[in-house]
Amino acid sequence: MIEIFRNMWRRKFRSFLTIFGIAIGIFAFTVMGSMALKFNKMIDGGKRYITGQISISPKGTSYTGGAGSATLPLNTMNEIANVDGVDKVGALVQLNVEEPNPDEASFSMGPMPTIYGMDYNSDYKNRNWETMDMKEGEMVGKGDADNVVAVGINIATDKKLEVGDTWTIRGKDFKVKGILEKTMTGPDDYVFMAITPARQMLIDSNPFLKSLQEQADKASQISDDSLAALPAATRDQIKQAKMFNVEDINSMAGVSWKNGFDNEKVSQEIKNKFGDKVIVLSPQKMGEQIDKASATFNAVIFGSAILALIVGLFSVVNTMVMSISERTKEIGIKKAIGASPGSIAREYTFEAGVIGLIGGLVGLGLGYIMIVIVNARMASQGAEIFLVDRNFFIEVVVFAFIIGMIAGVIPALRASKLKVVDAIREL
Amino acid sequence: MEKIVARAKGIKKSYRMSKRNIVHALQGVDIEIREGDFSAIVGPSGCGKSTLMHILGLLDRPDEGHLEIDGVDMSRLKEKKAYRMRAKKIGFIFQGFNLIPTLTAYENVLLAGKYGGLRGSERKSRAKELLEILGLKDRMNHKPNELSGGQQQRVAIARALMNDPALILADEPTGELDSKTSLEIMDILIKLNREQNKTFLIVTHNMEVANTCKKIIRLKDGKNAK
Repeated sequence: MIEIFRNMWRRKFRSFLTIFGIAIGIFAFTVMGSMALKFNKMIDGGKRYITGQISISPKGTSYTGGAGSATLPLNTMNEIANVDGVDKVGALVQLNVEEPNPDEASFSMGPMPTIYGMDYNSDYKNRNWETMDMKEGEMVGKGDADNVVAVGINIATDKKLEVGDTWTIRGKDFKVKGILEKTMTGPDDYVFMAITPARQMLIDSNPFLKSLQEQADKASQISDDSLAALPAATRDQIKQAKMFNVEDINSMAGVSWKNGFDNEKVSQEIKNKFGDKVIVLSPQKMGEQIDKASATFNAVIFGSAILALIVGLFSVVNTMVMSISERTKEIGIKKAIGASPGSIAREYTFEAGVIGLIGGLVGLGLGYIMIVIVNARMASQGAEIFLVDRNFFIEVVVFAFIIGMIAGVIPALRASKLKVVDAIREL
Repeated sequence: MEKIVARAKGIKKSYRMSKRNIVHALQGVDIEIREGDFSAIVGPSGCGKSTLMHILGLLDRPDEGHLEIDGVDMSRLKEKKAYRMRAKKIGFIFQGFNLIPTLTAYENVLLAGKYGGLRGSERKSRAKELLEILGLKDRMNHKPNELSGGQQQRVAIARALMNDPALILADEPTGELDSKTSLEIMDILIKLNREQNKTFLIVTHNMEVANTCKKIIRLKDGKNAK
């Protein structure tokens, strides 16, 4: 072992460069790997949620739900509730906590803080996510007032909220009833509240919906008697305005299925009956979509990290080939005094492994520093982009050692096959 | 009669340097070395001394002929097995000392013991003992570049003795030493031969060195000279 370090010390600058080459590769691997792990964790949380329900969103919205202006009429939801196999339907209103401001837009890797308005009275629950673990206080639910919220851990950290605090969202005061335990996924950035205030904020944020509501309010002041006196065209317009029902404003709805029913069949049933009105996302299909997306992401991330590693690997190969040709004589001596080819091969493979290991430790160290610094900076925005996973770090170091040994195998085999006489002749 | 340590009969070896240039280094050499011998191989350069030594030391294989070391037929020995014989039966002393530069004197000697299959504690005590006998007790933990030529050659001798080999081959052991140190080294070898009955075969073109040997084997043009 000590001989390896002496040999490395003999060629300090070259050893440094080689170790540096490996270290860069491992650095990239550590940083990108931690990012991928974090991403996967978020994806897994999202997948668990999305596969726990049949998601219904209005036609004309984005795939992921979001705060679209299209509406999901109450009647449709009630009809969906009657489909065979459907247990409960829960309406949901989603919108950003803060109105996005392009002038101050900062690039953020994490999810945006999102209001999550739930219909407490529907008794609907996601099948994979029935309850949320609370860090402090309690989750909001049936019986809670409209001005009570529960917030995700990132929001609590970012806004320095504690249970009992009052927080103003879009000009309205809310009381914090609970703070959720860290989930590493979506809910960390959610504000949970009753659907009514969320719905009103969504309407207020959308000029079109807002004007519809105002017209409906005005129309409702006109009594049926005075309506009859108006001209036919005006009457129709007012009747139309009156039809606006605030409860039709929903971003999306979750549908749970009864035990013993196949969610894929239930989704298909809903799709057959209401396919012209709503988008139905079956849990199974969504799960597959998510898997596909994360597979691509992982391939890109790990692909580029592996590329960096391969460069490092070749620098080890190069160093070992050079140092073996420098040490031909030494190898000759060792063989002359009785070293077996195997012991020569092992010695050089191990030396390359040690170079890989040192490079790995240096790279991991640098990567770890970077991860901690970036995470600390992003934490204030609730958007840590790296997962600090000790097992992954251990794997990285072991991996670096193995990579080094792999790089050393071919040069080491060459060394072990050197003809003693040829090597000795170089004396 | 003493036991035969090495016997070579009709050894032939040629090297193909290029397509048309084939060097016939050895063209049928006979040699017999008995236990306790202290012999020199002498001859002009290019007579095949080194080639013969490489073959006797199992570093190279003859094209033709019969080779026996310590009673074992080595004519058809594969390289895969040769290292074990080298480690246990043969000791080498080279002209350029050939110590491993990154290892201390002590570690250089230990290494031979490791290859020879000596157990850890045995290895350590034997290496210390040998270095002490050779007067290197207080130089044990020095690297080769911190030792004089004579000291380096004494480390090499200790290394050659480590596995108590049947035959010690020395290729110009005094070639890089001044005459005074050369005499010292030869005295050590002679003493080892006399007191411990070690068998030496010394390749040299230095007649002064050769004359200290009990027996002289002359080679000329790849053959035994009459």
